[in-house]
Amino acid sequence: MSEQPLQAPIRRPATPMLRQIEDRPGLKEMALGVPFGLKVIGAIMGLGALVLMAAVGYLVVDGRLDGQWYDVRDLGHAVAGLRDWLDGEGVDHRLTWLITGALGGLAIMSIVGGWLLIGSWVERRVIAKFQIRMGPNRTGLFGLLQPIADAVKLMTKEIIIPRGADRFLYYIPPVLVFVPAMLGWAPIPWAPNMAYMDINVGVLYVVAISSIGVLAIFLAGWSSNNHYSLLGAMRTVAMMISYEIPISLALLSVVLLTQSMQLSEIVAFQGHYHVWMIAIIPFAAFAFLFASTAEINRSPNDIGEAESEIVAGFYTEYSGMKAGLFMAVELAHAILVGALMATFFLGGYTLFGLEEWVPGYLILAAKIGAVYFLFVWLRGTLPRFRLDQLMGFAWKFLIPLGIIQAFIVAIEASVFVRVDAPAFITLGAFAVVNLASTVVMVRFWADRLGYAPAQHATKPELTNALGGLKAAQRLRS
Amino acid sequence: MDSTGIVIGFWVLSAITVVSSLLVLVARNLMHALAFLVLAFLGMAGLFITLSADFVAVAQVLIYAGSISVLMVFAVMLTPLASRDNGNSLYVLPGVVAGLGIASLVAFVAVDTEWAERTGAALAESDFASTVGEVGRLLLGRYVLAFEVASVLLLIGLLGAIVLVQERRRAATQSPDEAADTGARDGGAL
Amino acid sequence: MASHAFEVDQTGTGSAEPFVLNIGPQHPSTHGVFRLRVVMDGEIIRDLDMIVGYLHRSMEKLAEERTYTQNIPFTDRADYLAAMTGNLGLALAVERMTGVESPDRAEYLRVIFSELQRIASHAMANGTLVSDAGAWQTPLLYMFREREKILDLFEMTCGARLTTNYMRIGGVAFEPPAEFWPALQELLDELPERTDEYAQLLVDNEIFLARTRNVGIISAEDAINASLTGPALRGSGVPWDLRKAEPYCGYENFDFDIPVGKVGDVYDRFMVRMEEVKQSVHIIRQAVEQIPPGPHKNDIPLALRPEPGEIYSRIESPRGEIGFYLVSDGTPAPYRFHLRSPALINLSLLRELGEGASLPDAVVTLGSIDIVLGEIDR
Repeated sequence: MSEQPLQAPIRRPATPMLRQIEDRPGLKEMALGVPFGLKVIGAIMGLGALVLMAAVGYLVVDGRLDGQWYDVRDLGHAVAGLRDWLDGEGVDHRLTWLITGALGGLAIMSIVGGWLLIGSWVERRVIAKFQIRMGPNRTGLFGLLQPIADAVKLMTKEIIIPRGADRFLYYIPPVLVFVPAMLGWAPIPWAPNMAYMDINVGVLYVVAISSIGVLAIFLAGWSSNNHYSLLGAMRTVAMMISYEIPISLALLSVVLLTQSMQLSEIVAFQGHYHVWMIAIIPFAAFAFLFASTAEINRSPNDIGEAESEIVAGFYTEYSGMKAGLFMAVELAHAILVGALMATFFLGGYTLFGLEEWVPGYLILAAKIGAVYFLFVWLRGTLPRFRLDQLMGFAWKFLIPLGIIQAFIVAIEASVFVRVDAPAFITLGAFAVVNLASTVVMVRFWADRLGYAPAQHATKPELTNALGGLKAAQRLRS
Repeated sequence: MDSTGIVIGFWVLSAITVVSSLLVLVARNLMHALAFLVLAFLGMAGLFITLSADFVAVAQVLIYAGSISVLMVFAVMLTPLASRDNGNSLYVLPGVVAGLGIASLVAFVAVDTEWAERTGAALAESDFASTVGEVGRLLLGRYVLAFEVASVLLLIGLLGAIVLVQERRRAATQSPDEAADTGARDGGAL
Repeated sequence: MASHAFEVDQTGTGSAEPFVLNIGPQHPSTHGVFRLRVVMDGEIIRDLDMIVGYLHRSMEKLAEERTYTQNIPFTDRADYLAAMTGNLGLALAVERMTGVESPDRAEYLRVIFSELQRIASHAMANGTLVSDAGAWQTPLLYMFREREKILDLFEMTCGARLTTNYMRIGGVAFEPPAEFWPALQELLDELPERTDEYAQLLVDNEIFLARTRNVGIISAEDAINASLTGPALRGSGVPWDLRKAEPYCGYENFDFDIPVGKVGDVYDRFMVRMEEVKQSVHIIRQAVEQIPPGPHKNDIPLALRPEPGEIYSRIESPRGEIGFYLVSDGTPAPYRFHLRSPALINLSLLRELGEGASLPDAVVTLGSIDIVLGEIDR
């Protein structure tokens, strides 16, 4: 505790770590203790930043940047410029495409890789704050080198193959599980012209890619020859198959409204009408988020690797960097879902016109970070569902309501195409109708299922009586 | 089929598909066979991409590599370990006959069909951006009856599965020895 | 007892569908080196064997070589989450055997420390229970915050946090230092708020309720028949507490209630512990107000030689009735030293609870019984 209103201090164990924490200067002391020269340099740099921002603002208003290769708001222009330049230099056309394609792939891999480097640190620090702990703070500045230390430790560990394991299939899953986590990034637009693979069937592609991950998990669980692994794999596969349906239904609503399966079109729709899909179809957004947590094994739906029940689920037997890969892919999945959530429901790279001034990829990154923070928050707060509860929630609740929601949205979509009214009126009406219908549906369906929220939890009864069975029966009646 | 990239892709994907299909037959371990089957499915999806059939390719991945294979995995898991051997069986001969029949049917269709082969400028002219819209229009237009029949079939399958499971559970709870067992447990508890 | 588990083919090569799962001795939710051999049919437990003894240290035999005072540290290491009540149980047993009296102040100090220990132990029990339900340690660490302060109080008084070795035959080992009392007062002031905070976090949490209500139900009849004690018994609705039934250390002078559950499920056991924390705070408040001045310890002979005879003495530990059965042959060391472990006897019902339950439910049920392997294996 920070405040200590005691007359005499508590004798705490004077470990070096506690002493160091005690001696650490606060933020105020650190700010006051900066040398004068540094302050001057900081002030100059601040002024410089202001001037730079003013210059950027002038350039943007002027419109001089639009479509130029040095337009940092959309790196797609730079790649297109590079391609034109290479073509102009007489380089083989195929080589040009190869080079730009490799550049894009490298960018995506470095995003995922960079996130793997700092993601675990972020998660551990944030959860530590939730849990009134310190978190990793010993390795490097603020413990930033902790993930690297962890990775080195994992790599130097022995890789154990359990006796009776299927050697051939045991080696594939740690690699295979990464494939969907990487490929899923391809259609995500980071700016109007900045999508690696802006395919027409983007939504289907995302769903299809995520379904490959099931296989890796199942192979991992099966080939380990371990009952925990098998239980974890069975749980995960059952859950992934179940929750693919709510995800598809939620995305169906989005596709119906935006009339496109292309992710850039979906974002452009939201940017054009200055509205987020989550405002129009809140139920679909909730279903997508909840089902995604189930798909990627995040709390509160992390039953596939429920630590208190089945140790580490499908990767119980993996050791060393193989286990490390499974843990890393969870982070990669979390930000992938963050990106998909941002793209489908939170306006993607657009932010009500701000994308004209600020690079769209920064906006998208901020949104991904926000969704990721939500995941960490959930993990730090909620207990875990049971398998049957989770399955019941998908089949009895999310899927029927998702179908009804998709039906309503289909009617709205045809109205939207046919009615020639200002968009804010139609979309606003849709938002109101969908919110109202969601509330009505959820309440009605919950009543039908016989579910009543536990408003007043039963408290134990306080008694002064004493006795055995008779007293218990008396108290109960 | 002009571009060398497409040609290389075609041959690589064909090799993957054919080799992994053969390995499905050869592999002794049923799980290994399944893994190769998924690889064959993915190779097929790649082949569809070289044909610019993006929707079919994605559907191939989604349905075959993602769902059908998991269904098969479940089926394999639920069979006892002893019968998980991909060994010889009496079904080899009928299997070979059926396979040859299907192959000859496909070959006949391929030879018989009037392929609108175009190259160069004609290909570029006839190129369209996406097959999704076209597929959707055909499914809900010209082939709507087939589409509806297929969906009704799926619905019947779904309901049939539910009915089967439901029936068994009711029978289990009503079976006399089960009732006697639970009764004995209740009576004997502590 | 174990034979029925072997009837199923353990390798899974045969046609038998159920398989055997070994939970423990190294497993995140067995609370120590405890092993469950579970015959599972999918996610449902068909049969369950409890295997204990991995932490057996032969305490009862070793105790026969030592004097009564020398045996007190063994009780620290038996129930290492509630060392104070273990100490007190042995000290009281020897006092009752020999007729040694302890001064009034010592009795009050004993009450204060055993109630603090009860709070610390219940915080640990409920925290790990929620962790077993999957809440990734957040509630556990919140509850550790209070437990940590209590352990600080122990440390400033007797120098140790877990293995306190504080109670003595004829009193307590040390007078608490001057800084103890304000720190205790501060803790007492904030504890009720803290318990309300946990209630906000957990008691109204739908997921937690879904995981714990109507799970692992023990009826009052079953609880009595299996001779459960402590919160596990009171959660089933039986108002039985040795502090009221056979008051010791002057518990009859304090005003407190026994919380009892209604259904007997995991949730009720959880809530009973939460409520007992509040009651303990209430007891400590009264004890701090009423504590008389005076010596904290009576002088007793170094080698205490009780008359030949035997005694069974029991008190209410956080886990239930901890009893000491001592047989003296007139020498300074006990002829027989037996500890009735509440955790072991509470655990005995797990098999009935686990059969037919799913694995997650069984894990939560095990967590709600609150076992300490040091005491079970001894």
